[in-house]
Amino acid sequence: MRALAVEEHASLTARLLTLFDETLPTLVVPPSSTAHLSALVELKSGVGGQEASLFVADLLRAYECAAHKYGWKATVMSSDTLDQGGFRDAILEVKGERVYDLMRWESGVHRVQRIPLTESSGRIHTSTVTVIVLPLSEDQSQPEKDDLFSMDEVKLEVMRSRGAGGQHVNKTESAVRLTHIPSGITVSMQDERSQHQNRRRAFQILRARLMDRKMTQDVVERRDARRKLVSSADRGEKIRTYNYPQDRVTDHRIGMSIMNLPAVMEGGGLCDFFEALEHSHYHDCLEEVLNS
Amino acid sequence: MPAVPGLPAATARLFTLLKQLIGAQEARNEIRWMQEALTQPVAPFADSTDLKTMLRRRLNGEPLQYILGNQPFGPLNLLTRPPVLIPRPETEDWTIRLSERLLSWSEPPASLLDLCTGSGCIPILLCHLLPSGSLHATGVDVSEIAVQLARDNAALCDIAVPPEGTAAPERSGTWKRNTFLPLLGNISDPAFMAAGGLRPPYDFITSNPPYITKRDYDSLPPSVRNWEDPRALIGDPADETQSYRDTQGLTFYHTIADLLANPTIKLLRPDGRVVLEVGEGQASAVAEILDRKAHMKDIEIWKDPWDKERTVVGRT
Repeated sequence: MRALAVEEHASLTARLLTLFDETLPTLVVPPSSTAHLSALVELKSGVGGQEASLFVADLLRAYECAAHKYGWKATVMSSDTLDQGGFRDAILEVKGERVYDLMRWESGVHRVQRIPLTESSGRIHTSTVTVIVLPLSEDQSQPEKDDLFSMDEVKLEVMRSRGAGGQHVNKTESAVRLTHIPSGITVSMQDERSQHQNRRRAFQILRARLMDRKMTQDVVERRDARRKLVSSADRGEKIRTYNYPQDRVTDHRIGMSIMNLPAVMEGGGLCDFFEALEHSHYHDCLEEVLNS
Repeated sequence: MPAVPGLPAATARLFTLLKQLIGAQEARNEIRWMQEALTQPVAPFADSTDLKTMLRRRLNGEPLQYILGNQPFGPLNLLTRPPVLIPRPETEDWTIRLSERLLSWSEPPASLLDLCTGSGCIPILLCHLLPSGSLHATGVDVSEIAVQLARDNAALCDIAVPPEGTAAPERSGTWKRNTFLPLLGNISDPAFMAAGGLRPPYDFITSNPPYITKRDYDSLPPSVRNWEDPRALIGDPADETQSYRDTQGLTFYHTIADLLANPTIKLLRPDGRVVLEVGEGQASAVAEILDRKAHMKDIEIWKDPWDKERTVVGRT
């Protein structure tokens, strides 16, 4: 009898904990309004020169691996390649279920500490890469009817002069630049051979930037962004360190470390951070609800 | 994601030469496009299978579009094959613009004749962009290679090619799809126009005829002059059969205006539209030819994205 009770006690406690930890929050916290969004992940090399550019390439691959693990579709949309290796900047398009919700916490400064391949004296360098995750809406069938901007607020420029143009020239000149006049946001795109495609992609990025801006403003206005929330507001904040000599990746916001760096960089291990951060966000939301 | 670093030494040397030839930024783009093309399933007409060969051909002045075997045109990716004129972004721009207005000008199904069709890019993109069964296009070109390429492009883009010599699709009423029929013929040859391969009157005439003056032609970039068909470029061919002695690159516009004005051919229906691409600085002269010779009304001039007057539109 006693044994039975002990056994039942254990299983009931476990169930209670599950209910409390996982089921309750989902009932109390309103469902995410951004669950349907995909994402554009922008990576920019920060301090550290070429080493930072090399880390842009490494981080890009780490995101691709993580996306692959979730069955998301990741495409490099734009990149500024350097001859010495790495990228000055890059934009990764990631499409799938809950992409934005899980990846939005990646926005911020990522710090890498390692001995660069180019460093002969074996000194450890510290470099940074800035990541910005933008919401990407799949439904772009009618750009004219977009509430984020109207077409007459956007100046479209084709880059450079083609001389006489037309039959006189068969050089590829497909670069375009968009300027959203009210906000001053500009987007340049030159990665595709087709001007049509570059234009489509530039509009996609512009739309993502404007949606990001709108969402940030909404958050501020609703005042539900408390200090503890890992909000998208502060992108200058150092959020994570990748320490190669110590084989460790640490997220500074939740104090979480993973002690197997290759697993994070090449094995999709970033997913663990995504989920831990999303979980922490859940708890913050829950706290919000309970305090209000 | 292919990156430039890590190239074998010989390829890296060729890449350095390309940067000197066309600029670092352009060269980086082009090598990336070459690398991307190499990861695609082999294109049916591209014959380069490695980066080194591609770079060598490019350094030899060959247009990138011939090396890769295709060129994006709107949402399509059309085949390119020397020496057929490579579709230009200016043409892409006005064709997309035309697609947005075409059906407001004419009740579907509309019929369209594209003169000097080349790769077929104009009618094929229109067929692709307009609703099913709303457009039946015919293209004419003097080059056999061009007509074959236009046919291959139609097949590639899943545009129906009706059999030659049967009733025009727009009249038979059985075609639920858009159609494009490329024909071999010389529009300057009265015999061809009278032979009955065409079925006028059409609702629309489009054309990107050769418009480069002989003087301009001699100083064109080598990638144009040495590789693309002069018959697609030179506006005033040194041809005995031509009845004009124009030197402004306008001969084909005169030919087209005469065809439009010809009362026996009746190429364009009343209230039909003609849409012509023109070279830099030719728009007002072409507008005048349409006005004076073909008595066209409501003549509009459209600018291209580079702010050049590029397209002349008239109404019968």
